[in-house]
Amino acid sequence: MATNISFILNGDEISYEVKDHWTLSHLLREEMGLIGTKEGCGNGECGACTVIVDKLAVNSCLYLAIEVEGKIVETIEGLASTSGALHPIQQSFVKNGGIQCGFCSPGMIMSSKALLDKNPDANHEEIKHALAGNICRCTGYVQILESVEAVKNMGGQNE
Amino acid sequence: MRLPRFEYIEPINFEGALDLLYIHKDNAKVLAGGTDLLVRMKKGLLKPKIIISLKALKELSYIKKDDSYIKIGARTSIADIIASDLIKKEACALFEACEKIGAVTIQHYRGTIGGNILQDNRCIHYNQSAFHRSGRQPCHKDGGKICYARDASDRCNSTCQSDGATALMALGANITLVRKGTERIIDLDNFYTTDGIMPFAMESNELLKEIVIPIQGGKSSYKRLAYRSAIDYPIVSAGVFLKSSDTSKNEIEDARIVVGAIARAPIFLAKASSFLKGKKFNDISAFKKAADISMDNASTFAVHNVGSTLEYRCAMVSEMVFQALKEAAIVTQE
Ligand SMILES: Cc1cc2nc3c(=O)[nH]c(=O)nc-3n(C[C@H](O)[C@H](O)[C@H](O)COP(=O)(O)OP(=O)(O)OC[C@H]3O[C@@H](n4cnc5c(N)ncnc54)[C@H](O)[C@@H]3O)c2cc1C
Ligand code: SF4
Ligand code: FES
Ligand code: FES
Repeated sequence: MATNISFILNGDEISYEVKDHWTLSHLLREEMGLIGTKEGCGNGECGACTVIVDKLAVNSCLYLAIEVEGKIVETIEGLASTSGALHPIQQSFVKNGGIQCGFCSPGMIMSSKALLDKNPDANHEEIKHALAGNICRCTGYVQILESVEAVKNMGGQNE
Repeated sequence: MRLPRFEYIEPINFEGALDLLYIHKDNAKVLAGGTDLLVRMKKGLLKPKIIISLKALKELSYIKKDDSYIKIGARTSIADIIASDLIKKEACALFEACEKIGAVTIQHYRGTIGGNILQDNRCIHYNQSAFHRSGRQPCHKDGGKICYARDASDRCNSTCQSDGATALMALGANITLVRKGTERIIDLDNFYTTDGIMPFAMESNELLKEIVIPIQGGKSSYKRLAYRSAIDYPIVSAGVFLKSSDTSKNEIEDARIVVGAIARAPIFLAKASSFLKGKKFNDISAFKKAADISMDNASTFAVHNVGSTLEYRCAMVSEMVFQALKEAAIVTQE
């Protein structure tokens, strides 16, 4: 079965025919070619596939595409400005060594964005809590936490 | 990783969902947050033809106080439970359990309390990819005739790793199950079967509507052990409830000790619980004794199938129960 759904993706209104059994990560990556969102485990264990739906960070590998009907979806592709300038969180990850191989980065950054959009002054514990579902096999997490902390000091980050 | 094909249906109200379940029965599965169901489907552990989504059923999402009961709609998210002051105050064990479920991104926003208590039992030999399982004979739960977790077992010994279920059982909760035309209320104590393949007494045409927790004026607590504090399921857990006597504040009138992630269902430990009746809230050695009785009784049910060693998990039953009792006693006396 296929159904036509409408939703907002990175600010643009989208209408797409989706199969019932597609996950959101499948729709984004395999159908729309938005491969910034990664799929690691496919089972909710790693957070690589994290995107933001209606302001909440969710794992797109366990989200049916058909269920984003009417919702607002943000992926890593929507973060940089139209001129190509990176979002402050992305800049901070680059500057503070929050990225090594980069596989976990889109998920880490989307989880961080969902947190900072809601709570720009999040403290260390709150950051750790918000990123607890995201696994990184390279950095050892310290630089990632530092990167998110550093965003707070960059000022005017949310846009 | 792809999902097998199915037809997705989104009923617009509760009645509509009941009608669909009535028509499709075993061919259909209910989808709440999907954080248990979709994982099992990806692993090829089940292939429902039809998925009935509760997405539009906002009426199943609530936490309210009704006389001396807390009522929670089945579709209420784990995040909403954590944020509820009512739950924190009157059903602290449930708050503590929900806080520990998985990680914020998946379980808290997407996962629901209904899905949490109805998640399937787990086992390291069973919750594996289709490829992994294809290398050996299927076990009982997979449609075969052997069990890898316990030698020569004629039945499945899979483990209930739901944090919510253990806490709710300690709180003496019951649940409301509805099917077209009828409704029944069942204590969580009686909801579980001793069958790892079909761990609860629920019909395929039934929908979980509500969870009801009696407000009994006692204090509760929940402790669990997991490899990592986030993402991982518990390998042993304990939920306890303590109530002081009306006449003497320092005396335990009622106690409920429930141990989770050790057997096919959370187990209510009657002997350890009744041992505490009449004991004092500051009697640490009585808590230690109750914790040891819990360990002895729970260990007979324990099966080596959720990681770590059996010896360690059994030893930790005592520790989890002890910590939970201590915490419940401290908050009672505050
Ligand atoms: C990485 C990971 C870690 C996890 N860690 C934990 C953990 O630490 N502790 C824990 O307890 N759980 C854990 N879980 C399991 C799961 O995420 C939670 O239990 C969650 O609360 C399940 O809710 P859901 O709404 O997503 O369930 P779903 O997957 O939607 O449903 C689960 C089952 O319940 C049935 N169901 C749901 N609602 C109803 C209803 N109203 N009526 C009838 N049937 C219904 C479904 O058909 C399905 O069989 C984890 C899952 C993952 C992927
Ligand atoms: S306990 Fe035995 S039968 Fe049950 S899932 Fe594990 S291996 Fe299979
Ligand atoms: S790919 Fe979604 S959590 Fe790992
Ligand atoms: S940078 Fe490689 S996994 Fe995180």
